[in-house]
This record gives sequence, C-alpha cells and structure tokens, in this order.
Amino acid sequence: MYEFDWSSILGALPILSHGMLVTLEITLTAIVIGILWGTLLALARLSDIRPLAWLAAGYVNLFRAVPLVMVILWFYLIVPALLKDVIGAAAGSDIRMVSALVAFALFESAYYAEIIRAGVQSVPKGQVNAAYALGMPYALTMRLVVLPQAFRNMLPLLLTQVIILFQDTSLVYVIGLADFFGAAYKVGDRDGRLVEMVLFAGAVYFVLCFGASLLVRQLRKRFAT
Amino acid sequence: MSMIEIDQVSKWYGAFQVLADCSTQVNKGEVVVVCGPSGSGKSTLIRCVNGLEGIQQGNIIVNGIALADLKTNLSKLRSRVGMVFQNFELFPHLSVTDNLTIGQIRMLGRSKEEAQARGLKMLDRVGLKAQAAKYPGALSGGQQQRVAIARALAMDPICMLFDEPTSALDPEMVKEVLDVMVELATEGMTMMCVTHEMGFARKVADRVIFMDHGRIVEDAAKSDFFGTPRSERVQLFLSKILQH
Ligand SMILES: Nc1ncnc2c1ncn2[C@@H]1O[C@H](COP(=O)(O)OP(=O)(O)OP(=O)(O)O)[C@@H](O)[C@H]1O
Ligand SMILES: [Mg+2]
Repeated sequence: MYEFDWSSILGALPILSHGMLVTLEITLTAIVIGILWGTLLALARLSDIRPLAWLAAGYVNLFRAVPLVMVILWFYLIVPALLKDVIGAAAGSDIRMVSALVAFALFESAYYAEIIRAGVQSVPKGQVNAAYALGMPYALTMRLVVLPQAFRNMLPLLLTQVIILFQDTSLVYVIGLADFFGAAYKVGDRDGRLVEMVLFAGAVYFVLCFGASLLVRQLRKRFAT
Repeated sequence: MSMIEIDQVSKWYGAFQVLADCSTQVNKGEVVVVCGPSGSGKSTLIRCVNGLEGIQQGNIIVNGIALADLKTNLSKLRSRVGMVFQNFELFPHLSVTDNLTIGQIRMLGRSKEEAQARGLKMLDRVGLKAQAAKYPGALSGGQQQRVAIARALAMDPICMLFDEPTSALDPEMVKEVLDVMVELATEGMTMMCVTHEMGFARKVADRVIFMDHGRIVEDAAKSDFFGTPRSERVQLFLSKILQH
C-alpha cells in the first residue's frame, strides 16, 4: 500500500507559484496576441480579396491540423536562429520562454480565428449595410459595429478556448520549461514524491478550469436571455 | 433638377437578372414611391442608389455625382444619403444617443456635443426625446424605426431612401412611422420610398413607380397611377392591395 506524504507541497510553494506565473504569462500572451492576430485572420478569411482569403485559410488549416506539441518543438528549434538573424538579439536569453510564447500565440490565433469568423458571421448583414449607409468605411464598420457584437456573441466560446489553452500550456514540458506542471513534476522528482505532486497539480488545474467553466455556463445563460 | 438619376441600369446575380434596363429619376423635393410584387427588385434598385449594391450596366447619379466614377468618394456620398431599412438596423450594442451620434462624429467630423445636440433635436422631432438613454432592444418596433429615421436625419441628408420601413411593424405601429414620413415629405425632403402603403402614396407621393421582374413597368404621376394605370399588371396589383 502506497503511503501518501503531502508534506513536501508546502516547501515547494515558491517554486510552484513561479511555475504558475509562467503558465499565466504564456496563457495571457497567447490570448492577447491570439485575439488580435486571430481577428485579422478571420477578417482576411471573410474578405472578398481571394488571395488574402486563401492565405488566411491556409494558415488556419495548417495550425489546426498539426499537434500543438510539435509546434512548440518547432519554434524552440527555429526561434533562436530567427532571433539571431532578424533581431540580432543574444541567443543566450530565455529562448525557451520566447519560443513558447511565439508558438502559443501563433497556434492559438488559428483557433481564435475560426471562433471570431463564426462570430462575425453571426452579426446580421443588415448591420453592415446600416453602417455603410451612414458612410462608414469597411474598417470602421468592423471596429465599431460588427466586432463588438461578434465578441459579445462568441464570448462563451472564446472563454472555453482560453480554458483549453490554460491546460495546454503544460505541453511546454517538451522543451523543459518549468510552467506550473513542469515545476510540480521537478519538485516531485527531486523529493521522491512524484505521485503526490502530480495529483496536487492535477487538483489545481481541475479547480481552476472547472470553476472557469461554471462561470462560462453562467455567462451563456445570461446571454441567452 | 434631379437629385437621383437612374439611367438604363441592369444588374445580374450570376445568370439571374435582378434589374433590367431601369431608368427613372427623382427630382429635388420630390417624393417617389416604388411598389411591386415580392422579388421584383425594389430593394435591389434602392440599394443601388447609395452603392450598397454594384451594377453591371448603366449609370446612377446622385446629386450630380456618378457612383461609378472612380474619383467618387462613396463613403462621403453615403454619409449624406439617409437610408431606412425594413428591419430598422439600429446598432443594438449602442444606446439610442450613441446610435444618433456615431455617424455624425465619425463621418461628418462633428464634436460630441454638437452631434448630441443635433441627435436629440431629431429624436425630439420623431417624438422620442424621453428614450435617449435607452438601448434599442428596450424600444418597440415603431419606436426603433423612428429612431432609425432620426439617425438618418441627424446626418443632414440631401435625400432619403426608405426600403419598406413599415412592413416589419405591427399594424398599430405603422401609423406613427408613416406620420413622421408624411411630415418629412411635406417639408420638402427628397424621398424614394419602397412601400406598399398606398395611403401614404396617395397622400404625399409625386410619382409612383411599379416594378415587376426587375423592370420598371409603370412610372407615372400619382394621379395617373391611381387614375388610369396603363398596364394590366398594375391594375391587378392595385386591386389586390386595395382589397385589404
Ligand atoms: N444576394 C443575392 N443573390 C442572389 N439573388 C438575390 C440576391 N439578393 C436578391 N436576390 C434576388 O433578386 C430578386 C429581387 O430581390 P429584391 O430583394 O430586390 O426584391 P424586392 O422587390 O425587394 O422583394 P420584397 O418585396 O420581397 O422585398 C429576388 O428574386 C431575390 O431572390
Ligand atoms: Mg425588398
């Protein structure tokens, strides 16, 4: 019979909270860039300019057809070279973090793009016409009339995607980055208490994600009325 | 002096011809009513007037400006051509006041105060001053349509286009919207109205246009239209409408 010993969790809290910071940093960066870049991709995909629509569709389909773990690994292998060539930055700086941020932002953009595209399409065409009839050009119509309504309609879906993203950040273990899960694993390994640490980490993910999904359900109900 | 000139306009959706060689004009201060059976191209025609739909043949000239001319600033022109839609199309995420001011501020470059003053004046004019702070969703259909008219008027339009402004309304709300439109007409606003409200047409129209299968079948002064319509198709249509 396995003897549980939870005592090492307390001492590991500083490392764990640092890991949580890494997790949150990746999540937030991916949300912000993902929504901005995803919005542009969605609008490009809906555009009448065929080549633009095709490029956006290609991007979205590519990232959605490839496992995230692989994307993270690719960027880890590519980004240092890019940083040296393009920016000329010292490759010694926190490459793992930078490459993870880039990978997640670009990957999530593809998923957000599809959600945002559906959101834009959920806004009646008459709204666009009304904005045009007031003289608004395309960009202003999108910014002031369509996107605000689209984001309102798709908020539950976007938040659900955020929850998935938050969990997926744990995949950075492939490049040895100590996010929350990675930190828990390392501490558990060091103290010989892997089972407890991984269980504990799982419990934290569960509480946060389940809580958030309850929140999304509330939102859905409120928006349904 | 014509405000809107529609000159031999044809338009296709793929192989389907929506508009076939349509020609007419609306003079300054004139009220022209467009009617005809469903699918005859009325909405399409009126939407072509401010360039919401493109055309493949012919010319449309508004206030002396050719829409097809590459030098034409379509945005600028549209900002001065008021349009009222069947489904109101107020912006649901904005308050009534913001609906009234957004175009003025963004497209006419007015200050917020100026735009609000002008918007409130127009809101008062359609009898809804008390609703300024509400959101469109809290208003009845008739009220929403009156706000939509006020939104267009706040832009100081050179003419107004209406696409079946009362056909999505409950019967008891039709009158409040028509009253506003009648008042506008008597004040000399240039108006092109797609509507089946023949009472409105009899009261204020100068001319009535009848469309069928993308063609302008009848384009006559009001008295001629209601007096001695030339085509059988118009007679049939009128007898149907006047039955109820
Ligand atoms: N985007 C489109 N693509 C293809 N066909 C269209 C499109 N828009 C309209 N049509 C067709 O063009 C014809 C004319 O449509 P339009 O809306 O102008 O008619 P209408 O006279 O306004 O009819 P209603 O009284 O029902 O409003 C219809 O047969 C319609 O199905
Ligand atoms: Mg129509």
